[in-house]
Amino acid sequence: MKFLVVDDSATMRRIVINSLQRIGFSDTVEASDGQEALSKFDTSINFIITDWNMPNMTGTEFTKVLRTIPHGVSVPVLMVTARSVKEDILTAMEAGVNNYIVKPFTPAVLKEKIDALLPAAAA
Amino acid sequence: MTTTSRAQEVLYESEAALRLVDNGIDDLRGAAQPAPQENRLMTVSLGDLPLILERANQQIQNVLAHLRQTRSALQSTAFEKLQATHDKIREVTSATEDAAINIMDACDRANNIVDELDAIDAAETPDKAQALNLRSTLRDEIFLMMGALQFQDITSQQLSHASAVLVEMESRLAEVAALFDSGLTIDRPTFTNAPAEQTYDPNATTRNAEGRQALADGIFTSIRVPAA
Repeated sequence: MKFLVVDDSATMRRIVINSLQRIGFSDTVEASDGQEALSKFDTSINFIITDWNMPNMTGTEFTKVLRTIPHGVSVPVLMVTARSVKEDILTAMEAGVNNYIVKPFTPAVLKEKIDALLPAAAA
Repeated sequence: MTTTSRAQEVLYESEAALRLVDNGIDDLRGAAQPAPQENRLMTVSLGDLPLILERANQQIQNVLAHLRQTRSALQSTAFEKLQATHDKIREVTSATEDAAINIMDACDRANNIVDELDAIDAAETPDKAQALNLRSTLRDEIFLMMGALQFQDITSQQLSHASAVLVEMESRLAEVAALFDSGLTIDRPTFTNAPAEQTYDPNATTRNAEGRQALADGIFTSIRVPAA
């Protein structure tokens, strides 16, 4: 299982990647914004964890573009963001995000959301 | 109409009124010129002076009224924005302190676990199962310390928002200053590197993460997401 972790904060990327390693996923690729994520996305990626607020291309913009790419239509996208008002959550859903984690998060919440999306990622 | 757009409208009105006064003062200046300005005296005679003064007085009254409105609008806008910024900066302080305390608490617990592991090692028959549990707990504590560092991302967004508000306030103050002198140039560098709006959430907070997560979960549960 290969994860693409997208966040402009190097601290957050490291925290997410360490959390993934802790729950048994060590194959990860990093990107610091949506544009870089698109350039690194290929058919080997099974799961995407993305932030919302980033320079050049936000997480929602990235997800919208991703959903137009053949393999990107089905890859699970988990958004991890500080944004937490209802309108934002609905906007993320409309963009094609499959689930949503509010920062600051606990490893248990991350594991729960990943577990819920794993069947789709493995398909 | 928002307070912000009202403030801008009042600023423009004040500027227009000031231009009228400026023109009136030019007329007066022309009327007050001595003999060489004969052509001028032909168009503005001494008899016109009361009328010109009355017009100037009226326009000055208008300017003052507009300035009062401008001040009031600016005051309320500035107060709200600066108060919100002040609150954000205070939250940064408290989030930083909370994170530091959480990390220190985890360090204390980790140290205690290391002491317990030392004691187990020193025993004649070390309890390997107990040591295994303690090592697992120690890893949890270390991981907790790492998780506490998420405050850095959130406080960074809060500071970006505060920075953007300050840049906006600077721009507004420059507009007000320009009302009094349209040729005014600011000879000190202005802030041009306001953080891009898309890089931060103005509402970012470290508070009530559980409640906010529950809201997100509730929405995702109630509105069926198409299967990936």
